[in-house]
Amino acid sequence: MKITDAGVYPYPAGDSTPARMAREARDLGFDSIVAIGGEGSGLHNIDILRGFVITASSQKEVIRQVRKPAARDADVIFVNAGDTSFNRAAVSVEEVHIIRNMHAARRNAFDHVAARSAAEHGTAVDISLCPIIQYRGRRRQIALQRYADILTLHRRYGFLLTISSDARSVLEQRSVREIRGLCALFGMTGAEVAGALSSIGRLIEPARPVRVVG
Amino acid sequence: MKPRPPAMREKRRYILVRILPYGLAPDQKDLYLAVIEATTTLLGDLAAGLSQPAVVFCDGGYAIVRCRRGTEGDIATALATVTAIADERAALRTVATSGTIRALKRRIRPIRPLTETGEVMIGKDYFSMHRYPRQKVDLIEKGTMHQKSLFFTETDLEER
Repeated sequence: MKITDAGVYPYPAGDSTPARMAREARDLGFDSIVAIGGEGSGLHNIDILRGFVITASSQKEVIRQVRKPAARDADVIFVNAGDTSFNRAAVSVEEVHIIRNMHAARRNAFDHVAARSAAEHGTAVDISLCPIIQYRGRRRQIALQRYADILTLHRRYGFLLTISSDARSVLEQRSVREIRGLCALFGMTGAEVAGALSSIGRLIEPARPVRVVG
Repeated sequence: MKPRPPAMREKRRYILVRILPYGLAPDQKDLYLAVIEATTTLLGDLAAGLSQPAVVFCDGGYAIVRCRRGTEGDIATALATVTAIADERAALRTVATSGTIRALKRRIRPIRPLTETGEVMIGKDYFSMHRYPRQKVDLIEKGTMHQKSLFFTETDLEER
């Protein structure tokens, strides 16, 4: 069970190199990180997985983008959330691992139909800590409302959750203990946080029935 | 004024935090204002007032934050939302919580830059190098205002 930060933006998107972020993540209690726009490798006893983010307005566009070489080379494919119909369609695309940016989506954009579909297709929903850490006032309140809503749906339908710091700098990375405290703000328990931090492994290598070979 | 007897005094907890980036030496008052801003915006006036956060020590890249016993979890969470101290980008990493300042001061491991420094050009900008133990290299843009910081490792610099 690997503890993974499901989204960091290393240099040049951010100000810290993948190696420095990997070292920091190791110190903060992680076993792997997903570098969005970076190269996958193993540094300082920590796995760096390659992430690819798709921003689209229709399911057709998502399918077109997952066939691009950059998406095929990626270990984890993210889709930015959109409106209700888009989210329902996006979670059912087989190649998509995670739907993210839920804090920026409209209320009820991720509804019970999308939640059930996500559970059936093994698609996870990402909880970004960036709005909780960086935002203030109304924007942070909205993010906390969205996450509390997602948590209710997660408890009812059982889809996977992931937690990302969306850090662009080592200054924005947070430790596992701090993540537990931040997630407790919208009612997430310690066990749920542990499950969400370790769900990347289950996403990229899902449990399949045992096959007898030969 | 006669002090209260020990049994009547409020119990307190102390949180040791490491200040990032290395080399940033904020004023104790600026740090206090950053902690109060983070606590008030996250927990509200009521919880912030009842937890009574205060900065009692700030030196050598570490700080000790005092709060009422029972609120240390909330204050540690609020400290994780500190993103700037006096308009300088910063982060506070919780190291330990204790009932005494003395116990926390024993946990302080001073972070001193290595003597070897230098200069490097990245893109069109010149950066001064500040090397730290465990191959960490902080690059600070040369200039007078709004200097950009980059966080590299020795290996990254060798590969350039």
